Amino acid sequence: MKLSRLLLLLLTTIIIAGCSATTTIDEYRPTGEAIALNEDDRIVLLGRRDAGHYETDREFISCVGEKMKGGDIRVLPEQEFIDAIYPWFEPRTAPKGLLRLKRLMQDGSIKDEVNKLSIRYLVWLDGSTETLDSGGSMSCAIGPGGGGCFGFAQWDKLSVYEAIVWDLQDLTEKGRLRVDSEGTSYLIGAVAPIPFLTPVKSDACASLGNQLKGFFTVQSNAEQ
Amino acid sequence: MFTIKMKMFATVLSLIVLSGCSSSASVQLTNDFPQVLAKPKPLSAAIVFEPSFSNYVARPNEKTEIDIGSAQVRLLRNAFAGLFSNLEFVASREEITLDRAMVIIPSIREVQVSVPSDNYLNVFEVWIKYNLDLETTDGDTIDSWFMPAYGKTPDAFMASKSAAIGEAAIIALRDAGAKLMLDFYRIPTVNNWAIEERRKARQANIREVSP
Repeated sequence: MKLSRLLLLLLTTIIIAGCSATTTIDEYRPTGEAIALNEDDRIVLLGRRDAGHYETDREFISCVGEKMKGGDIRVLPEQEFIDAIYPWFEPRTAPKGLLRLKRLMQDGSIKDEVNKLSIRYLVWLDGSTETLDSGGSMSCAIGPGGGGCFGFAQWDKLSVYEAIVWDLQDLTEKGRLRVDSEGTSYLIGAVAPIPFLTPVKSDACASLGNQLKGFFTVQSNAEQ
Repeated sequence: MFTIKMKMFATVLSLIVLSGCSSSASVQLTNDFPQVLAKPKPLSAAIVFEPSFSNYVARPNEKTEIDIGSAQVRLLRNAFAGLFSNLEFVASREEITLDRAMVIIPSIREVQVSVPSDNYLNVFEVWIKYNLDLETTDGDTIDSWFMPAYGKTPDAFMASKSAAIGEAAIIALRDAGAKLMLDFYRIPTVNNWAIEERRKARQANIREVSP
């Protein structure tokens, strides 16, 4: 009796341990100091959507925005910024580099709108979550006497996202972050299908959001 | 009695599930578009939204229908307001009252849709191929400009096909606005027309001032 309980506990521990994602963050900043942000200034997070085969999804952008909101950092919703500055940040027109951004900011009406929205920093997020590999099989059947699923399936997911911080006042790049998160999820069919899902994407979001939050330090107007 | 009720419930449930799995999509675009952030040139234009354009319903394939007419009129009204300071929107060429204006007659050549089962990618895609016939008020042709627009939206688990195609169509329409703002005055014939119109306006001003 004791042995079976121990086995069950061991199996549960193995499965739960298998459901955690491995996350790596690479960071580059020209200086080690945190980026100063006035308490009136805001940050906008924008997703890159010009690649042909994937899109940086809006759900991920809002997730990172939510993670950054703590610590007095004010984040402007992505769509609000894109609409206010339409059509200059659509997939076709959004600046890919600082040179194009500088040309864009030479337009008085665009610069005025950016100032009106109090946007100091723009963070580009680019990446996606993909299923790399899958294995196992699961079959489900239903009949007059009932139904059920039997088998075992597993799949690996990888989230790779890059964040680039642009200063809209100096028109310079302030830093880069890259997050890689990988993990395996399982589905066990024992009459009812029991999923053990690894939160790869939400791990990537939390790691990126928290790391980005550490990039900035909010200064009150009285401190300056 | 209980058996009949259960059977009826099972039939209704099956119908709901099957209709949810249906691969046809009928989309109506009712959203608004943002105002463009641009300073218009001091030029005049008459935009002719013919009924075939303003009531356009795209049928890119037998299973998909996109009611795009009113949405594209709303978008183009906003976009042209960022290009010309003096605008007139009419339903036919005969209704134009402006003198010395560019007459723009937009039309759709084709609408194409691609879904994940077609492209093997996790995206829904919409292409709208516009054509803009550009003329003077006297009826002389300035140019005929082909303007393709593209929109895509990621596939989401359990999201409806109609919603995904609708979202991709909205992105394609926004892209049409962006393309128009970016490239319209780069068309050589349009640029020449704009230069000529400004020269004529300056001459007219000089004539008014001189005794």
